[in-house]
Amino acid sequence: MSAEDKKKALTVFKTDRHEDVAACFFAGLAVVIVLSYMAFFLPSVTIKAPVDGKLTEIKVKVGDTIAEGQPLYVYETKKKKFVQGQMQETAVTETFKSKTPGKVLSLKLAAGEAFKKGNGLLVVEHVKGTLP
Amino acid sequence: MEERGFLGKLAAIVPGLAMMVLTLYLLKQVVEPWLAGVAVFGQKGYITKSIGLNYVLMSILVGMAYRNLLFRGRIPDWAAEGFRTTRLFIKTGVIMLGSLYTIQSLAKVGGLAIALIVAFVFGTIFFVMWMGKKLGMDRSMVGVMGAACGVCGVSAAIATSPGVKAKPAEVALAIATILGFGIMSMFITPPIGRALGLSDYQFGAWVGTGILNSGQVLATCLSFNPAIAPGTAVAYGEIWNVVRVISIPFVVFFITLWYWRGEAKEEHMSLWGILKSKFPIFVLGFFGMTALSSFDMLGKEGSETLHMLRDWMAWIFGIGMVGLGAYIDFGEIKKAGGAPLKIGVAAGTLKLVLSLVIILLFIGKEASF
Repeated sequence: MSAEDKKKALTVFKTDRHEDVAACFFAGLAVVIVLSYMAFFLPSVTIKAPVDGKLTEIKVKVGDTIAEGQPLYVYETKKKKFVQGQMQETAVTETFKSKTPGKVLSLKLAAGEAFKKGNGLLVVEHVKGTLP
Repeated sequence: MEERGFLGKLAAIVPGLAMMVLTLYLLKQVVEPWLAGVAVFGQKGYITKSIGLNYVLMSILVGMAYRNLLFRGRIPDWAAEGFRTTRLFIKTGVIMLGSLYTIQSLAKVGGLAIALIVAFVFGTIFFVMWMGKKLGMDRSMVGVMGAACGVCGVSAAIATSPGVKAKPAEVALAIATILGFGIMSMFITPPIGRALGLSDYQFGAWVGTGILNSGQVLATCLSFNPAIAPGTAVAYGEIWNVVRVISIPFVVFFITLWYWRGEAKEEHMSLWGILKSKFPIFVLGFFGMTALSSFDMLGKEGSETLHMLRDWMAWIFGIGMVGLGAYIDFGEIKKAGGAPLKIGVAAGTLKLVLSLVIILLFIGKEASF
């Protein structure tokens, strides 16, 4: 590629095809780094709230060993739904089930407390080799 | 430019890339949280929630300011190589977006999305060809504009240009015109979407059909709803957009045939040849990621592993957005005036309005997936 062509090019690669291959490689690399870190290096898992809500019941205590799929806490949240063109909000109660096995190290909130999406709710010891 | 070794090329990328990363870091970690706390009209978070001025839009605006104010229209040599990684970041992010879907969800979106997109892609190309003939434009320019307006700006224009023997200036004009229209769409569609009470599904489908450039579809969806998760505007907009991007080789083939038939010349290009040389293979990466996600190999939905993967995705896209802004040159857009501008604005507006009407009439608020 000439210097003049290089100046006009939108990519650092020789062609768009090379850029596509590099993008596949980088995405793969990012996934491998994240999965390896999460599977083998993460010491503990902070389980975060999936939505805004309020804790109504905590089903585990510190020191408990939990299995994948085990109910961890019950929370109340608001669900938005379009019904005949109108937005309707209803309060629903949901149970959060563990996505990972491990031992409960600490509870960050008590029953009755409100939380925002992304707030840490409890910390679980990570079982090496599993994806939390 | 002298030939550099691999390490030399890598070193040349560092300054520009560092500038993009630092810009994103400041906007995402410092400016956006600060703006979210500022009270306007007695309402905290008014700027980020009501106006939708989030880190995505700010990244593009700051990128535009770098190009047009700080660099006065031309990215300097020390930063140019780094800024050229922009599309790499956007493509990498799009591949990672595949993790938001499962094969089951893609099968559900299939029929409706494909029908709408095929109708809009080829409808726009025919419209551009008809208008180009009326305005007496060069066939090569019409070919590039048709691909740019029909499919997705930059990549389609570049992919079509060799087939229709377009000059670099024509490609630049087409790109500048559709990017110019796209910028306008980026700022006006989120408030329209909010005012009409569009759901994330409807907004994603509208923008994924109506906006001409992949990066801009992404930015617009993120400014409507900055969350990256299944069921958000960006998830729907991108799946619409990916179906459109897949049509690139077919569009290139169609326009090339049209061009050469008109030029009364023989060109022996097989469909396989076009597919082999033009198919955007990063789209295969997207589907690869979807396959991994369908088999729960990236962690279960709602898991901490997927949270972390989406955090990385947000950073990768953010860097791409700063670069995208820096490729918007007001001077080039001004130069692109005249016939290409008329066609670009007419085709773009028609597509945007028509797709909105169809979405309001036929697409429900809630997705079937």
